[in-house]
Amino acid sequence: MSGIPPGGDRRDPERVDRRSSPALKGHLELLARMSGHLAVTLNIEDTIQKALELIVSYVNAEAGSLFLLDDNGTQLICKASVGPVNVSGLTLKSDEGIVGQCVTAHESNMVRDVSTDPDFAQSVDAVTGFHTRSILCTPMSVQGVCIGAIELINKKDASLLFSEPDLMMLKTLASAAGLAIRNARMAEELVEQERVSRELELASEMQRSLLPEARPEPFPLHGVNLPAHEVSGDFYDFYELGDGRIYFSLGDVSGKGMDAALLMSKTASLFRCLGKTIDEPATLLATINRELCETAIHGMFVTMVCGILDTASGEIKLANAGHEPPLIHDADGSFSSIPASAPPLGILPLKVDEHDIRDEIFTLAGGTLYIFTDGVTEGDIGNGQRLGVEGFKEIITGKADAPLAARIDAVISSLKGSGRKRHDDITVLAVEDPAAGRQAGEGSAPLRSISTLTFLSSPEELARVREAVRETCQTCGCPQAVTRDLLIAVGEASQNIVRHAYKDSDDSPATLEILCGEGILEFHLRDMAPPVDRQILEPVWPEEVQAGGIGLCLIHDIMDEVEYLPVESGTGNRLRMAKHFERDNNET
Amino acid sequence: MKHEVTERGDTIIIALKGEIDLESSPVARELLLGSVTGKRNLLVDLSAVTYIDSSGVASMVEALQASRKNGTQFALAAASEAARRVLELARLDKVFTIYDTVDEGLNA
Repeated sequence: MSGIPPGGDRRDPERVDRRSSPALKGHLELLARMSGHLAVTLNIEDTIQKALELIVSYVNAEAGSLFLLDDNGTQLICKASVGPVNVSGLTLKSDEGIVGQCVTAHESNMVRDVSTDPDFAQSVDAVTGFHTRSILCTPMSVQGVCIGAIELINKKDASLLFSEPDLMMLKTLASAAGLAIRNARMAEELVEQERVSRELELASEMQRSLLPEARPEPFPLHGVNLPAHEVSGDFYDFYELGDGRIYFSLGDVSGKGMDAALLMSKTASLFRCLGKTIDEPATLLATINRELCETAIHGMFVTMVCGILDTASGEIKLANAGHEPPLIHDADGSFSSIPASAPPLGILPLKVDEHDIRDEIFTLAGGTLYIFTDGVTEGDIGNGQRLGVEGFKEIITGKADAPLAARIDAVISSLKGSGRKRHDDITVLAVEDPAAGRQAGEGSAPLRSISTLTFLSSPEELARVREAVRETCQTCGCPQAVTRDLLIAVGEASQNIVRHAYKDSDDSPATLEILCGEGILEFHLRDMAPPVDRQILEPVWPEEVQAGGIGLCLIHDIMDEVEYLPVESGTGNRLRMAKHFERDNNET
Repeated sequence: MKHEVTERGDTIIIALKGEIDLESSPVARELLLGSVTGKRNLLVDLSAVTYIDSSGVASMVEALQASRKNGTQFALAAASEAARRVLELARLDKVFTIYDTVDEGLNA
């Protein structure tokens, strides 16, 4: 008999020291190579195969296999195999064979001669035709949890038998391999986490793009949406109908996950799309409801408010489907609310009538309408207290004189002040009386909207435009000579919309709003045509008299201020013209 | 816009009345250009014009250019305050010959 004598594991200390020094160096090298390989591939299967190859060669074994426990811990699957027979994919019960016993007992095992060992699963040799003589097996553990085992077969020397030092070596290497596998698994998880978080980020960005752009004062609507997580189940939106009316909406999808976010995106898109043709809020909600019911995701629903603001009169038409009652803060400081007349959307068919979904009509008259989600009223303001509707009213009352955006910010910051992580999305949309907004926005020269006229892009409509200008000028005490000039300038600007902006259409709508302040008249012309070249605002008198191009020169000569105001991305033009005048007292 | 066409000797007098804007200027344009094709001079009476925009002015500019080519005279007369103001603002008051009255234009 050659090889290690019985009891050879109990070597004298001197011998261990002499052996361990180069061995330690070898271990470290091996570990470094395994880690290095992992860093290159970040692939768990590659890592396992490479680690096993290194171990087999290092211990000088004839063959080796690496088994990992499956997720349930009931099966051992061979993940890598080195040697004359490839046993990759071989599956054993978690307590089967020497590997199984090793994993179950969580102990290393050396069988010098398998022919005498009852635990040896003879079936494997029977299938593979490989003659197993001697086995080394050690469990791989990471942080005390066994994840599998490494088995080496037949020492590559004359005896084919392993010795105790070989087992010691394998134990050390197995823990290194276990570490490498754990690192690879963590790397895989990190990659997956990274992928998921990138997708969430894209979804979040996509959702933000569904929200309308903030518009500067004195635009009468302002909204805020703060998702609790990356994506939101809340939304708000508004857009101009092109005739001085603005459609607005706010909704809250039940639930908070990705499913809620997707339903939110769908509902918001339906509002944007269908609202362009359905200008009755109740009918619009009933139509959106039908769509949502048709493709219902069981148990999910949407509470939603939508309405139309007429900027000329401050009148609002509003419908509420299952949403927390919006608040109206009147100019006199009092509050009233608009409870839902119908259940949330996506549950049952809705009828447009008195007893189901219906339009409420009211006029802001200097007041403001606030629509919000329960994330606001149920939001934590510290000490476990919720803001509540009363808290909301209190903040709004305290800030009544502040601009719209500042009032909403005050509400939001009261919630963020708690310093805790939000549990729900926070969304507020406020609509104020357009007349009040302009007064607040203009500072020293408050302007009042005197008239708004919607006209079509046809030459026959221009007489109506002039009539509106004439009437308003008279109302505002504008002298006749100035009125005559304003008729020319506004006529030319309107004519440009008809002739140039809407050159291919004679029934597209444009709006003229006339505002009056002390000694100033403003004319806002809004169209939904493709944006015009702002360059043309700098007229150059032609050397030779040209038939065209006179209009702009007239506008500039007559008006004191001419500018294009910003509009929401890509939708039309908004020309502002202002004229200062000295009030003609004799004519009023 | 309304109009009235009279003839006095070798001059055609076209009186434009009311508002000349994008809607009515095509009519004015046709009327004016149609009257400069012959050998007679053209005198446009603007006394009853209550409003005229750049498209109306443009049709008069075209008629002026056509009459120059045609070798005939083209003049404006008795411009109302509204018409005069636009011509001034458009710096065309020096481009057109503008007589104070129709008679003055006929006698010139």
